[in-house]
Amino acid sequence: MLEDNNSAELVIRRAYVLDPATGLDGTMDVRLSSGRVAEIGQELRGPRELHADGLHLFPGFVDVHAHWRTPGREDEETIESGSAAAAAGGFTGVVMMPNTDPIVDRPVVVSGLVRRVERESRVRALVSAALHVGLAGERLTEMRLLREAGAFCVSDDGLGTASAGVLRNAMLYARSAGLPVILHCEDHTLATGVVHDGVAASLAGLPGSPASAEDAATATALILAAETGAKVHITHVSTALSAALVGFFEDRADVTADTTPHHLTLTEDLVATLDGLYRVNPPLRPDADRLGVERALREGVLDIVATDHAPHSAEEKELPIEESAPGFLGHETAFAALYTELVLDGRLSLARLVEAMSCAPGRWVGTGGSLAVGVPADLALVDLSEEWTVGKGTLVSRSSNSPYLGRTLAGRVVGTIVGGEPVHDRTGARFGLRA
Amino acid sequence: METRSFLTLEDVGREDIREILDLARAFAEGRVRDALENKTVCLAFFEASTRTAVTFELAARRSGAHVISLSEKGSAISKGESLIDTIVTLDRLGADAIVLRHQAAGAAALASSHTSAPVINAGDGCGQHPTQALLDLYALSDALGGFEGLQGRRVAIVGDVLHSRVARSVIPGFLQAGMEVALVAPMTLLPPDADALGLPILSSVDEALEWGADVLYMLRLQRERMTGALIPSVAEYATFYGVSRRHLETGALVMHPGPVNRGVEISGDVVLDASSLIPDQVAAGVCVRSAVLALSTGAAQRVAA
Repeated sequence: MLEDNNSAELVIRRAYVLDPATGLDGTMDVRLSSGRVAEIGQELRGPRELHADGLHLFPGFVDVHAHWRTPGREDEETIESGSAAAAAGGFTGVVMMPNTDPIVDRPVVVSGLVRRVERESRVRALVSAALHVGLAGERLTEMRLLREAGAFCVSDDGLGTASAGVLRNAMLYARSAGLPVILHCEDHTLATGVVHDGVAASLAGLPGSPASAEDAATATALILAAETGAKVHITHVSTALSAALVGFFEDRADVTADTTPHHLTLTEDLVATLDGLYRVNPPLRPDADRLGVERALREGVLDIVATDHAPHSAEEKELPIEESAPGFLGHETAFAALYTELVLDGRLSLARLVEAMSCAPGRWVGTGGSLAVGVPADLALVDLSEEWTVGKGTLVSRSSNSPYLGRTLAGRVVGTIVGGEPVHDRTGARFGLRA
Repeated sequence: METRSFLTLEDVGREDIREILDLARAFAEGRVRDALENKTVCLAFFEASTRTAVTFELAARRSGAHVISLSEKGSAISKGESLIDTIVTLDRLGADAIVLRHQAAGAAALASSHTSAPVINAGDGCGQHPTQALLDLYALSDALGGFEGLQGRRVAIVGDVLHSRVARSVIPGFLQAGMEVALVAPMTLLPPDADALGLPILSSVDEALEWGADVLYMLRLQRERMTGALIPSVAEYATFYGVSRRHLETGALVMHPGPVNRGVEISGDVVLDASSLIPDQVAAGVCVRSAVLALSTGAAQRVAA
């Protein structure tokens, strides 16, 4: 659906183009032709023009961690709704996690998803298959057959891998299969609570999971990555120590890592609300961890921001925190939350944010993340001046479990283009073409 | 009379191999008879074996040796006697050669330090299986026009290299014969730092044939390794690391040390195909092991060091 479109040429005029991958930084015109970036310059004209005065143009964001709940929980999200939410957040590429029902651990499930993505997704969506059968941490999946069926990577997301021995074999086998591995680092012998094991949990009387649950598993994963040579991505890093461990292994292993918008902007004090909405895994951490993760992102130790977009039905979230399902929506608020909390506050440059949301994840998946002439035209148009209040009515996702509900954020995606085709046009009027 | 142990193929040079194969041929053609007359050959099998035990026994008896067989059932081995005590016992009973099969790597070397009799390693754990490599070279030489015919040929060793004593013997054997060797296995079935061996590492039988393999040497996949810890499934293994009829179109020869898991390493219709040397490998076992026994006991002319 997205490839090989021969739509007429389009010139985006006078946008402020910011692309750390190519170094573009200034007001200019961008010509799209045959689905690709054809020319970048001044005073470009064409039969179809999009007047983007006052808007920023970035390479489309790429989210290496999303749960679209398909197959199995289409009441929470579908490929259609998840990809619409992604497009609304400026994402042009997404990696779908395998902890669905059934779990994506067989080639036939992968090929089915790939076919559905072609028909139903507005953005480029890649399938992550499971690292082990049933995500049970015992038997390796048929990674080579999964790859032939269309899997892009393998992951243990949602559960992690209890046995270091199994994880090591899985990394070795994934390397032979030529698949990157996304790892959810969590030691379940330590992670026995529902929130971060800190002061807020103690005061609230909630069972806590210590930071060591993540740190010990992250250390194990990194050591094994260095030893096996596997291409490993550590997802949702949420503690200062885990971020530092990633930094230590940067040059010792083929490793990348992401953290999430919520771990960069929210802290464990939300536990005091006892609201089931704020349960997430890994849990929201103390501000010292948030600062450590923020610094690691700023310095490039953490390469990527990924949302861990995790839709849940109201029945699963409107519960006491101990009984609610962990997870937040992410696609639609990611850029605005980080722009508001970090960029406007002077803690992170806009260029570094775009690098972490577009360029680095684009490089990791092999598509997008750049506006170089000749690449597929995947881009996001953003109005940095627009303030908006996150509400259930503003969300495109089938679910509404956003931790930013009620918050007013600055910066809004007004248009998203994938392969030259508009896939999100928030206002219609603003994005309207003038012949 | 000088005796010599055969513990590993690592220290058997090209000329040694040639002489062993020549002597084996002499045995096969009946030019050497009763070479082991009045010798006592002890077969100490601490681990189950079918073809190795049978061919060693035939090799010894046909050459006139007395044979003492100790298997893991019905002997002091089953009563928990230690390896060293068994070896010392056989030594004092006057063994002229001890053929040892044991479940632990290094057992043959340990045994040889407790007896003056030559020890022939008939397979020690994941360590070595030197007579297997020799009989493979014999069978392959027959198929390719003699030992010199192996020079420059390409052999792909496919499967569980990590746990294979056969691989650890055939790799140096094939290299001594002047062959080019590649390994075909997932990283879970390769030794750590397999790159350090300096051999190409390929990822499927198809890739091995693209590489130009003249010979596909298939290793046995132990049943306990099929359960998902090291490889995901028999189906995936057979798809990428199994040889099927379509692979024979290039004219490649197929070898396997046995016993074959049909449908795993080799599809059923290939095992006894004309391109399969598997029956020839078994047949070569007797004459090659006769030659090894004769050389190790000093009954035949000493092999050049």
